[in-house]
Amino acid sequence: MASSFWKALVLVGLLALAHAAFSAAQHRSYMRLTEKENETLPIDIVLQTLLAFIVTCYGIVHIAGEFKDMDASAELKNKTFDTLRNRPSFYLFNHRGRVLSHSPDQASFIPCARALPANPVRLRKLEPLHH
Amino acid sequence: MASVSELYDVTWEEMRDKLRKWRDENYRNSEQIVDVGEELLNEHASKLGDDIWIIYEQVMIAALDCSRDDLAVSCLQELKRQFPGSHRVKRLAGMRLEALERYEDATKLYDSILQDDPTNTAARKRKMAMLKAQGKSPEAIRDLNEYLEQFVGDQEAWHELSELYINEHDYAKAAFCLEELMMTNPHNHLYCEQYAEVKYTQGGLDNLELSRKYFAQALKLNNRNMRALFGFYMSASHIAASPKVSAKVKKDNVRYAAWAASQINRAYQSIIRKCDRL
Repeated sequence: MASSFWKALVLVGLLALAHAAFSAAQHRSYMRLTEKENETLPIDIVLQTLLAFIVTCYGIVHIAGEFKDMDASAELKNKTFDTLRNRPSFYLFNHRGRVLSHSPDQASFIPCARALPANPVRLRKLEPLHH
Repeated sequence: MASVSELYDVTWEEMRDKLRKWRDENYRNSEQIVDVGEELLNEHASKLGDDIWIIYEQVMIAALDCSRDDLAVSCLQELKRQFPGSHRVKRLAGMRLEALERYEDATKLYDSILQDDPTNTAARKRKMAMLKAQGKSPEAIRDLNEYLEQFVGDQEAWHELSELYINEHDYAKAAFCLEELMMTNPHNHLYCEQYAEVKYTQGGLDNLELSRKYFAQALKLNNRNMRALFGFYMSASHIAASPKVSAKVKKDNVRYAAWAASQINRAYQSIIRKCDRL
């Protein structure tokens, strides 16, 4: 469902809630003017308040996005050591990547090594290669 | 050469979000980061807003991995221009010197950062990484131990220390480091599994039993962890095959190993069925 529908629903719910609150305040001042302090709030205002509250809650749940599981281990189920063993503060740079550079025309700062030709295989998905 | 956005048909917002995902989850796919990041910085720099500085940092580190010194220097210059005198940018300059193997110059730079700010953990960690890069493992281990006495809660450092100990074959101390990690992250199945693997490597009946228990714990936390399932099978089989165990323990472990084998078979069958259906 388009999120604009749910946003509109939340807006309608909030407006109805505001309207009910305003009606209740007006009813209170009317009671005070006519000195009939013993009359309870009319049932339609109460119904409108409850209904508007339910509609707003329902709409907000749909806008809020994906719910996460309560289980603390659930979000780790998809993690693998590929990402967990990377410690950014301790990254080393003396690995094969220095020689396997993918631009053969750049001047290498290792005088004896020659940069290999560009990587011929291009994967068609924008995902990390080892996934 | 076709640009990334043409090759994969993505918009610049998607590229920016991908970079954020890779940054948050510690992916080290440096070639892709360089391709995507370079295009984002060259073509869409004005639309990125304040995100651009952290993207410069991310692309610079990836460029060092791919030995793209030109890109690294240009990113560094942009960052220096925007944040002159920043320790974080100085650290990046030091990382570039490390990548060029100019370790003395990098050490001088990190020492100057530490003189200004003795509590700067990033510079200390880079110095330890340099010792590791130069192959001086015992000094790196000693420095890391001193660091951890001061900063006991630093999980990255505990994990790094466990890896250093594993490389030195000091499995008892590596197990201790992983125990610290497991205590602070009880729901992480990967630490349980790595601890179990270290215990399995140490060998001996007690360690094998412990490793089987921790493999089981890892499976309890994540029942799709194939490596833990294999580890459970291996440790149970080894205990059952050992001559020193009682008959009851042997029978139990044979049962565990049989269960693990059936689970492994089932997992492979479901993958084969899925592939056949494609």
